[in-house]
Amino acid sequence: MNNLRRFTTTKNLALAASLLLPLIMMNNANAKTPFTAAETADQKERLMTAVKQGDDLWHNPKLGSNGLACGNCHPDGAASNPHTWPKYQTNLGKVSTLRDMINWCIAVPLAGKPLALDSDEMIAMEAYATYTHRGVAIAPGKDEQHGAVPVTSGPGYPNANTGNR
Amino acid sequence: MSKLSRRKFLGMSLKAGATTMFAGMFAPTATSLMGFGGIAQAATKKISPFTFAVLTDAHLYDIPGHKFDAILEKAVADVNSISPPPDFVLYAGDLGQSGKEAELVKGKRILDKLKMPYKIILGEHDYYLDMGKAWRGLFGEEYWSFDHKGAHIIGMNSILVDDFWTLRNLTPVERMGYMEELECNQCGAWGVQAKQLEWLEKDVKKLSPDTPIILMTHSPLWDYYPRWNFQTSDAPEIHYILRKFEKVMAIHGHVHQVVYNTIGNISSAGLLSTSWPWPYPPVDLPYPDIKMNRADPGDFEDGLGSHRIEIAQNFDGILNYRAFSDLLPDNVKRGIII
Repeated sequence: MNNLRRFTTTKNLALAASLLLPLIMMNNANAKTPFTAAETADQKERLMTAVKQGDDLWHNPKLGSNGLACGNCHPDGAASNPHTWPKYQTNLGKVSTLRDMINWCIAVPLAGKPLALDSDEMIAMEAYATYTHRGVAIAPGKDEQHGAVPVTSGPGYPNANTGNR
Repeated sequence: MSKLSRRKFLGMSLKAGATTMFAGMFAPTATSLMGFGGIAQAATKKISPFTFAVLTDAHLYDIPGHKFDAILEKAVADVNSISPPPDFVLYAGDLGQSGKEAELVKGKRILDKLKMPYKIILGEHDYYLDMGKAWRGLFGEEYWSFDHKGAHIIGMNSILVDDFWTLRNLTPVERMGYMEELECNQCGAWGVQAKQLEWLEKDVKKLSPDTPIILMTHSPLWDYYPRWNFQTSDAPEIHYILRKFEKVMAIHGHVHQVVYNTIGNISSAGLLSTSWPWPYPPVDLPYPDIKMNRADPGDFEDGLGSHRIEIAQNFDGILNYRAFSDLLPDNVKRGIII
């Protein structure tokens, strides 16, 4: 009750109004958008560069030592289930992230050297796996094997056709 | 349900384009054999019952002591342990991974340990480095047929694509690299192509419609998920050539999974690999009751296995998936009717 009474003082009301004001302005149709069209286009392009890099790494046996790549078992990123992480992963014995699982796959089935969790390569792999599941509802801990989003043509994401992949 | 009325019923459902609607009702597992007799039609011609085994998709690498070598060895030993021994073994393609002769030689050395004769077809991984030269040198014809105890058994090369490499100036290694990727989006759709269709037409011309037909291809003879070449582009032509037969049993590799479909007179079953399992693609299965469980990535034998097929006097077939780990739900464990 003391706290409530204190909140209703004029001083605090003014403070609350000053905090809410920017939020109200953001909902106003006349408010400036956070980024310009050029800025969002640039952001999108940078993301897609990472997705493409992740796609190349995903299909590159050089991450391992036995000829296998992630794509052998996970075509189009299928069954990487990015929407289900974090979750308790039995073979890792802890609540883990997709990056932990990618490293486990590199270390065990691919017999390779795990990546630094914050490396550009790891972020690119995560970007690829996640982008191939765009639109799938986030469901941490869900016991589900997902076949990635259906693809009819192209690499599975928008890109300039380089003729390579 | 009598045979005639069941056939009529299925014919109607096919025309209505609603086959999947009845999938659950007629899930052709050995369990449903008791109630419905399965969905696959029995042939009227009586044959001598027999069994055969099937292996596929070893994807051997040219790396000494590679883990997939041991799994193919295990599959061969498993088939050799079946009692009574199967009459023969069929191998449904992708013996190698990158089309290298060393991979195929290693595979042949392991397959030659089978105690019974075997017949083999090509997968795309065996082919696109040298366009099948090494494979033909080791195994002979790319497509073939033989008769066994009243049944006619056919193997075909279903992984042929139109030339995508010449205009791009790809080297053989690069061409193989493209094909090695399941989701290759530059390679195009596979098929058996015109020459084999002509051959098939001639091959079955003199056979009476009651002849039981077993047809093995690397890819499925139905549009499952074209993106991953879980299809054969000229499957409709194959269906047309084989339309006169009472029953065609089709088996295929490539999908690395338990999957079943039936279209008209052709029942079709996918096979387990001896390399890695594939997840189900993002489409509805026509027979969702016939599927495998998720494989445990920490168990390198999970999702893999060999197969035994039992053919009865009336050409009822039961396919037993012999999974190396705990992969199969109960209904599939008992075998599926094909």
